[in-house]
Amino acid sequence: MQKKFIAAAAMAGILFAGSASAQIKIGFHAPQSGPAAADGKSSTIGAEIARDWINEKGGVNGQKIELVIYDDQNKPDQSVPIANKLIGQDKVVAAVSGSYSGPTHAAATVFQNAHIPYISAYGVHPDITKEGNWAFRGVQLGQPQGKGAAKFIADKFGKTAKVAMITMNNDFGQSIADGFKEEAPKLGLTIVKEYTFGLGERQFGPIVASVKADAPDVIYAIGYYFVGGPLVAQVRSGGLKQPIVAAQAFDSMKLMEIAKDAAEGIYIVGGMDRGRTTPADFQPFLAEFKKRAGYDAEAVAANCYSSVMLMADAMKRAGSTDPAKVREALAATKNFPMLTGPLGYFNSVGELYSPLEVTQVKNGQFVGVTVIDDQSILAPPK
Amino acid sequence: MLFVELIVKGLVYGCMYAMMAVGLTLVYGLLRILHIAHAGVFALGAYMVVTVANATGSLAAGFLVALVVSALAGMAIYRLAYQPILGHPPFVPMVVSIGLFIVMQEAFRMIFGAYGIAFDTNPWYVATISPGGITFNYVEIAMVIASVVLLLGFGLFAGLTRAGIAWRATVTDPQMATSFGVDPVRVRYLNFMFGSALAGIAGGLVGLLNNYVEPTMGGLVSYKALAIIVLGGLGSVRGTLIASLILGVVESFGTIYLADVFDRDAIGFLFLIVVLMVRPQGLLGRK
Repeated sequence: MQKKFIAAAAMAGILFAGSASAQIKIGFHAPQSGPAAADGKSSTIGAEIARDWINEKGGVNGQKIELVIYDDQNKPDQSVPIANKLIGQDKVVAAVSGSYSGPTHAAATVFQNAHIPYISAYGVHPDITKEGNWAFRGVQLGQPQGKGAAKFIADKFGKTAKVAMITMNNDFGQSIADGFKEEAPKLGLTIVKEYTFGLGERQFGPIVASVKADAPDVIYAIGYYFVGGPLVAQVRSGGLKQPIVAAQAFDSMKLMEIAKDAAEGIYIVGGMDRGRTTPADFQPFLAEFKKRAGYDAEAVAANCYSSVMLMADAMKRAGSTDPAKVREALAATKNFPMLTGPLGYFNSVGELYSPLEVTQVKNGQFVGVTVIDDQSILAPPK
Repeated sequence: MLFVELIVKGLVYGCMYAMMAVGLTLVYGLLRILHIAHAGVFALGAYMVVTVANATGSLAAGFLVALVVSALAGMAIYRLAYQPILGHPPFVPMVVSIGLFIVMQEAFRMIFGAYGIAFDTNPWYVATISPGGITFNYVEIAMVIASVVLLLGFGLFAGLTRAGIAWRATVTDPQMATSFGVDPVRVRYLNFMFGSALAGIAGGLVGLLNNYVEPTMGGLVSYKALAIIVLGGLGSVRGTLIASLILGVVESFGTIYLADVFDRDAIGFLFLIVVLMVRPQGLLGRK
């Protein structure tokens, strides 16, 4: 009897505490355990820095923001109940995904049905925004990234360059590869062969041997840094000297730790120039992230930081936390300074337009090489 | 040329699979347990090598620590996780083993961090030799040498020494061996000690080969090793060795010629299914 009373009192306390706080609640989910935990940790720290800096400057419309954070284990079957909990129990007015495409896509449906604005900070699957008009994406889709890579290769290595593609066979890799394969022939590039590998792959001996036989002018590698590190090291130790152009997810200081000298000279299309001084919060963010995490920030952390900042900005512009008004303000975003590059606009399905930065590894650092800002190539697909 | 290179690379990876799968098949032969947590020991070995080598600057010290710690971990797993439930049907220890593997992966993540660890210095990783036009890095060479030496040593031990004969006798007929005075519990400890040490060394070498040690690195090899021991005929060491090499070569070719159709990791299992349709008992298994 007494136990029941205590439980009831505790429950009432929790409910009361929840309703009494005058904070704006933003839901956030990321993989904090399981295989994707490393990115989940970075993305969570990125989002928390945004929260703290917003609150230090007085919050949004006079209210502090609160992130309600859950671990989705990078599983769609976790992100759906989390989304329901965020909506039903935590009563969030908006949400940000710091997770990969799978869980983000699944949760997007729930937020769509509940009419809660939702930003996928770095999940690139095209379907995430297809559920309706409540989901937005804080990063370029894979397709424009792939097209941008084709343009960069044609500009840099000549329009008749022969390219060997080494592609990761998940939705991230495939969507970039699709964009590349669409644009490359238009620019005159020849794709000599496309090799694919799984997320768990670390041994590329056979692929390296075969690429050697293909003798391409350029190697275009699409994958995450933890696959990319062993890949480029094995490409170089296999005696291949061709320039390597890589996709966005190579952007991690871990790449240099893993690949060591083999990482030198790699180009990353969609990378993040660490020496940039714009926007004004970029360098302070890098410093703060390093302080909190103990390691250097990568793009996912910057994406999550910017997505939370963007959501707060939309609330300010809406002058309200009413989800419908926030959604409208988000959709009307123009020239918002994301850390990964200025967000030009959102198209009708919530895909952003943003120029694509190309970086190169020089002396173990990501250094800016050029910026691709071409509407005809990078315009988000509808 | 490419053809030869693919075979050779496949055999190198086959050696890696063999070091991992032998421990698994030994445990199955002796206790009829599918020892999934073996992949956790593999990752543990890799973590020992990388942390000790980064701290002391000595790879040899790293491998020595990995050898001892993995062997002890294997024996501890037997004593604490399997021995109390040996009387239960086989799926009980298997579930325990899967649970243990997940716990180990998450423990690595908590202790060593969610991001993997790279070796501070890894000279073998970039140093290469090219006999006959095929390029190997030194880690690949070390992998082949280590697997041949260790497995040959094991073969000699099992074939020639008293303890080895007692071991084989226990695998063949536990009751008969016991009645001849062989202590089955000692044999089991020996079994876990050897298999786990081998897995730990393999983990360390794979860590060097990738120059990256990550919490989930056991995952992929665990199910490949399972496929291998089934392919080899459960409990057959010789079958396991042959199956490891075959899988390495099949994957090597599959990566290049079948990747448009199948994932490399699916190729191994496709091959497994085909073999089991023809020989349900595995390559060298008894009916």
